[in-house]
Amino acid sequence: MATVSYQQATRFYPGADAPAVDGLDIDIADGEFLVLVGPSGCGKSTSLRMLAGLEDVDEGTIRIGDRDVTGLAPGKRDVAMVFQSYALYPHMSVAENMGFALEMAKVPKDERIRRVREAARILDLESYLDRKPKALSGGQRQRVAMGRAIVREPQAFLMDEPLSNLDAKLRVSTRSQIAELQRRLGVTTVYVTHDQVEAMTMGDRVAVLKDGVLQQCDTPLGLYRRPANAFVAGFIGSPAMNIREFTVTDGHARIGELDVPLSRATHTQLAREDSDRVLLGFRPESVELVGPTEGYPVAVRLVEELGADTYLYGSVIGAAELNGPDIVARIAVDHTPSIGDTVHLRVRPGQEHAFSPVTGVRLE
Amino acid sequence: MSTSLAAAPAATSRRRAPEPPKRTAAERWKRRGPLLPALLITILLTQLPLLGTLYYSLRSQNLLRPETNGFAGLSNYATVLGDEYFRAAVVNTLVLTASTVVLSMALGIAFAVLLDKKFLGRGVVRTLLITPFLVMPAAAALLWKHAMFNPLFGMLNWLLSVFGVDKIDWVSQFPMPSIVLMLTWQWTPFMMLIVLAGLQSQSTEILEAARVDGAGAWATFRRITLPHLRRFIELAILLGSIFVVQTFDPIFLITQGGPGQATTNLPFLIYQTTFRAFEVGEAAAAGVIVVVGTIVIATFALRVISSLFQEET
Repeated sequence: MATVSYQQATRFYPGADAPAVDGLDIDIADGEFLVLVGPSGCGKSTSLRMLAGLEDVDEGTIRIGDRDVTGLAPGKRDVAMVFQSYALYPHMSVAENMGFALEMAKVPKDERIRRVREAARILDLESYLDRKPKALSGGQRQRVAMGRAIVREPQAFLMDEPLSNLDAKLRVSTRSQIAELQRRLGVTTVYVTHDQVEAMTMGDRVAVLKDGVLQQCDTPLGLYRRPANAFVAGFIGSPAMNIREFTVTDGHARIGELDVPLSRATHTQLAREDSDRVLLGFRPESVELVGPTEGYPVAVRLVEELGADTYLYGSVIGAAELNGPDIVARIAVDHTPSIGDTVHLRVRPGQEHAFSPVTGVRLE
Repeated sequence: MSTSLAAAPAATSRRRAPEPPKRTAAERWKRRGPLLPALLITILLTQLPLLGTLYYSLRSQNLLRPETNGFAGLSNYATVLGDEYFRAAVVNTLVLTASTVVLSMALGIAFAVLLDKKFLGRGVVRTLLITPFLVMPAAAALLWKHAMFNPLFGMLNWLLSVFGVDKIDWVSQFPMPSIVLMLTWQWTPFMMLIVLAGLQSQSTEILEAARVDGAGAWATFRRITLPHLRRFIELAILLGSIFVVQTFDPIFLITQGGPGQATTNLPFLIYQTTFRAFEVGEAAAAGVIVVVGTIVIATFALRVISSLFQEET
């Protein structure tokens, strides 16, 4: 177990215009569960592969504990990796799969068998040790891949979308099992996913990447409450945050018939950028239904009833700025309106987010 | 909706797929009819010659002594099996086939592993490596006989002279190794192509997993790649053996089965029996024995190879 740190780690793919990973700086504490998340092509898998040694580091360094591993071969880094396809060795039994790394490390046979047994017990794989991967179900194969990592007792676990080949129900239960197992073993873990729910539920901290650049690295709640920029705000949370651009006049953003006041700090920052526009956003769950004289009148276009929640899709009447995609609001189930109704909505005070229209950076 | 569900009978009889409709004989023949010409031609070209061979193998049939022609029972088989030339030819064929297949497979795997790596000019190298397989066997045999093996101006002796080796009369001094050398040159590309296909079908994630697990290049090859290649190697060995057993051109053109009987393999012996001794019956019996022997050995060899490797899948 050890700390892991990326220091200005950069990877250029030959022939590409921009780096796949650009000056990545993350310090991961001993025993921490860090999730790398982002849309496809954001460099999250490349970052993980750089740590594993499967991808070259063109600039910067990567350290595991106090060792500089930047130029080290994958096998010498003492990290274990779980692949998206599990990458089990098809001609070896479950026990041989799990023991292969120990065999390569010339661990004595007794010790090897003991550790494989132990890992199989933890993962409930004891009765499958003699089977070939082909004779296992998807969930069992996933557990063998985990077992292969566990038996090594490595400095760090690297997981590259290990749940994406499971069906939805199994994914949810395996998700909590992995998180629980990681906490029990206390091994530093870097976990890659494109699924923001996985990222939010599993990680001690979550690093959001876009186009090879780290956008924000914070606890799940930190990301949710104070997204560092408009991209993170739109990426974290489901359904996504409603974000629109508005004109600023006399210190207010003009939305339909109403003026929304902006804080002084927001003002100063906008003035510094010489911008007369602002990006405002609110989460669907920050909205409440109000009486007909308050808030904004919204024409309901679509209602999604999920049982626990109701999502309402509609457009604000008389606000040309809000044309385009519908705004989304979560409302209480017992007040579900019908399609075509007009309801009045209000954003709870203090739950709106402001971003610079030029840089996308959060404004306080 | 809900009412009809509730009203549905609790115990419905299990639903069955409808029976396939019965077709009349005329209908069935209409479907088979278009396949008949191809079937007839296949029978005509493969089964009739076999039947003809079986027929001749039971007859005493010498083209030079037509007065002795007649039914001979199994005496041809007895003659052939008791013939020391035949037994020598069997041994020669086994040695020739086994050495060629093993050598060309070893070289084929080596070249395939090299070609699986990316390097400048890989396409050109790949094409050049395949060429020996594309040259006509007779042309290749003549090329080797004169350009490579010739004791006076052959390239092999020229190459060895650099290391101070005296002139060697390859075909006379080392007849069997010479033929094996030439056949290995010809069959390596075939083995290489099949093994290369196997290498390229291997998942890169598995190779990466082995790297992360700390396996070096050799361990990865032996423990991960080779088991994956098993089926490809089996196929290549089986096909290669079947083709190499039938080798005729280089023996006819380079050694004429000599010196003495040193390189006489079964196809050449059968050729000699038919067209030099005109013993059609004996040649036919030898041919039948070879076919049966090939089938038996191929089946056996496949089993042995399968058990040598651990089972994949």
